[in-house]
Amino acid sequence: MTGRLPWAGLALAAALLTAAASLAFAAISSSENSGTLEQRAHAVAATLKCPVCHDLSAADSPAPVAQQMRAQITEELRAGRTPDQIRADFVAAYGEWILLSPPQRGLGLLPWLAPGLLGVAGLALLAVTLRRWSRQHEADPTDSAAPELSAADRRLLDKALAAARGEVD
Amino acid sequence: MRVGWRRWTALAAVVVGVGLTALLLGSGLGHDPNRLPATLLGRPAPDFDLRAIDGGQRAHLAQLHGEVVILNFWASWCVACQTEEPALRDAFERYRDRGVTLLGVSFQDSATDARAYAASRRIPWMLLDDPGSRTGLAYGVSGLPETYFIARDGRVSYKAVGPVNQDLVNQQLRRLQAEGAA
Repeated sequence: MTGRLPWAGLALAAALLTAAASLAFAAISSSENSGTLEQRAHAVAATLKCPVCHDLSAADSPAPVAQQMRAQITEELRAGRTPDQIRADFVAAYGEWILLSPPQRGLGLLPWLAPGLLGVAGLALLAVTLRRWSRQHEADPTDSAAPELSAADRRLLDKALAAARGEVD
Repeated sequence: MRVGWRRWTALAAVVVGVGLTALLLGSGLGHDPNRLPATLLGRPAPDFDLRAIDGGQRAHLAQLHGEVVILNFWASWCVACQTEEPALRDAFERYRDRGVTLLGVSFQDSATDARAYAASRRIPWMLLDDPGSRTGLAYGVSGLPETYFIARDGRVSYKAVGPVNQDLVNQQLRRLQAEGAA
């Protein structure tokens, strides 16, 4: 048993690292600052809720008010305002619930820290699992799958070894 | 010793996991998603300069400084807006000469429908067109009707979501007039 790869630990570490990478990618991938004006406006609208809809972004909603939000965002980007300035105006009018991303303070920090925490946990688990496996491998390089001896068996073995040594001596 | 350490680690992980889940659920469940915050309260009302739906006069909020302003967002298709019309009509008649200006802002409506509605109901206060809903978005309108009471100093004093009634309007106007007299 000692020489086998610890699949459960490795699988859990891989799952944690994959989750961390996915969340980090989702957090940083945005076309707000690149692409055409329409693409940038769409990216900003995707971070805002449609105020008259349930769980739809201003980018996805067909509601007239969402269309007007998109038009206003396009106009303001064209005028040189930054995505953060535009979002700040919507937050001033509606409150933070208009944002689809959680605020970067209080409990809202948790999802932002999640990729880092999951990454650290995954790496730590990977390190511990590999270290343990490597130690066990060193301790038993024959990769024996034999079970450990019981106390009674150990006594019998010791006795047999002693007898054998006596015969040799 | 080793088994004890493992057991404590597992227990700590479970306690942290359950604690975090309870914290997130508690904060989410304690918040009513239908109660939206009135972020403009106590802050300067966003300025606007809008033309009346009949294409005539304009209303510029900055020029109404020193007056109490009732800003009512409405639409011709809005049934709840019809419910509050008597209360607004009463307030308009009673306070028009007492430093109170009532303005209606058409929200998410066509100018033609808004004009037809205003003519059919003979609405006496000024009704404004809001191209692109810019004023509605600046005030954070998320449903109709919504009514903002703006104090003489230009700050948003009260926000009513849903149809207003006479008691609420009178109460707010008396308070704002008393503040102005003090």
